[in-house]
Amino acid sequence: MSDASDETPAPMIEARGIQKYFSGVHILRGIDISVASGEVAALMGRSGSGKSTFLRCLNRIEEPTYGDVLIDGTIITDLRTDVNRIRADIGMVFQDYNLFPHMTALENVALGLIHVRKLPRSEAQDAAAAALERVDLADHLAKYPQQLSGGQQQRVAIARSLAMRPKAILFDEPTSALDPEMVHEVLDVIRTLAAEGMTMVVISHEIGFLRKVADQLIMFDAGLVVERGPTARVLDEPEHERTRAFMKVLR
Amino acid sequence: MRMNDLRASIHDWRKRWAYQPWFRRYEWLIIGLVGWIAVALLFLPPFGRPEPLGALSVIAWYLAGFAMAGVLLSDREKPILLKRATSLSVIALFFWLFYRYSGTRWDRVQEQFFNLSSMDGVWELYAQGLLVTLQISIVAAVLSILFGLTFGILRTLGNPVLDLFLGLHVDIFRALPLIVSMVIIFYALPFVGIRLSAFWAAVLALVLMNSAYQTEIFRAGIESVPRGQIEAARALGLGPGATMRHVILPQAFKIVIPPLANNLVSLVKDTAVAYVITVPELLTNAQQAVTWKRSPTPLVLSMFVYLATLIPLIHLTRHLERRLGAWNTR
Repeated sequence: MSDASDETPAPMIEARGIQKYFSGVHILRGIDISVASGEVAALMGRSGSGKSTFLRCLNRIEEPTYGDVLIDGTIITDLRTDVNRIRADIGMVFQDYNLFPHMTALENVALGLIHVRKLPRSEAQDAAAAALERVDLADHLAKYPQQLSGGQQQRVAIARSLAMRPKAILFDEPTSALDPEMVHEVLDVIRTLAAEGMTMVVISHEIGFLRKVADQLIMFDAGLVVERGPTARVLDEPEHERTRAFMKVLR
Repeated sequence: MRMNDLRASIHDWRKRWAYQPWFRRYEWLIIGLVGWIAVALLFLPPFGRPEPLGALSVIAWYLAGFAMAGVLLSDREKPILLKRATSLSVIALFFWLFYRYSGTRWDRVQEQFFNLSSMDGVWELYAQGLLVTLQISIVAAVLSILFGLTFGILRTLGNPVLDLFLGLHVDIFRALPLIVSMVIIFYALPFVGIRLSAFWAAVLALVLMNSAYQTEIFRAGIESVPRGQIEAARALGLGPGATMRHVILPQAFKIVIPPLANNLVSLVKDTAVAYVITVPELLTNAQQAVTWKRSPTPLVLSMFVYLATLIPLIHLTRHLERRLGAWNTR
């Protein structure tokens, strides 16, 4: 957890009135959030509440129907912005890792550096190796994703985002596809990133983890934010009845 | 009671015998021996009496081979070799039975269809024909892969105008028999002012048909790459082109290789259709030799030229498939 007071006043990630229709279905019905630089925001809500779609709107993997997303003060939902440059600055970690199965761990991490950051190959590989070392995978550089455990794969995915030196990282349920004994190794990595001051938006239902790491908690329900606030407050004294019901299920 | 005893003793025998390591078991030796006796008889005159010395020498060879295999091969290889030897022996036995008892006049067969004395100059014709066949195959294969890949990628874009044209191409040339399109291209197109040599008419017909098949093959391959892969690549900041090149195509190629190899093999085979538009390829030259030598032997032997060309090709593709699949196995 870091102190945001000495940072620039413009939030790192800001969403203004995001709405999304999927073939006529109103998935997101006007979402506003603001995540300061170095802050960790957690999104919670039952499945189908739109939190995942919203997260994907933040780097335009999904195009919001209405509303604006601002990253570091620039509007990225503008049609004139180069979406690839924005995505390079925002890491994303998926629920089922989505590593490239035809590449080794090192190649997975180096791909973006070579083809997006345009680094020379050797330099990119050094940077990729350094990123993999940060997630404690220095011994597995030459392994293919199939040769790694789920936890290791997810850490490669985090390293892949990390190597791009992003301004923020989005996590879409990073531990929900993992066996219980592998969850903590991934959460430890995320916790370290938080301590280093990385701005992150995390969809997660790991209460204990969120309590330690997340600065603000945002509750989604049916395409709307029903409650938001400091993590401990929302977890312990939820105000909205939906939140209360959800917390009861989680315990 | 006695029945039960028998059953028990068989069970007992199985327990003690059937699960023994290969080198303590000899029943397969007998199976193989029977097969090799059959092979031995195969080389003896069909209507004469079997020559005991010949049979004995083959059995001796067999035992020597067995001893050598025992020394040279690893324990892992021995049972594999054994299975192959046994099945070959059984196949040889069947062939011999057919040879011996079908009543065919094999001397006449040989004289008609395998008359090697009239093959002077025919081998050169084969070589020339094979060269042309391979030229057509390679040119047509390269072009149809180029077009098939391009069309396959274009079909995944979902552009309605492109889809209409590419869909028409696929529908028409998958339905049209190759011989029809080839004849039309060669004999009918000159009337509208398009004059192609026989070689290029054959190539064009092959490319039109095979690129239609390959469009579908490549499209299916590309579409079978999970969406998450594309999302992960795009989330890294890779553009659509880079995503296609570095993420989708490498994975699609692996899926595409078996059907693509299949298609290319049948492309090589289909070059024989060019016979109808007088391209001097292998079959045409073989036919020419038939009229020249007044014997069907050149045509029959051209079969072996096709086999000798295509079987290695098939095995090559299988090998390639296995090697490219390496990253997908633990």
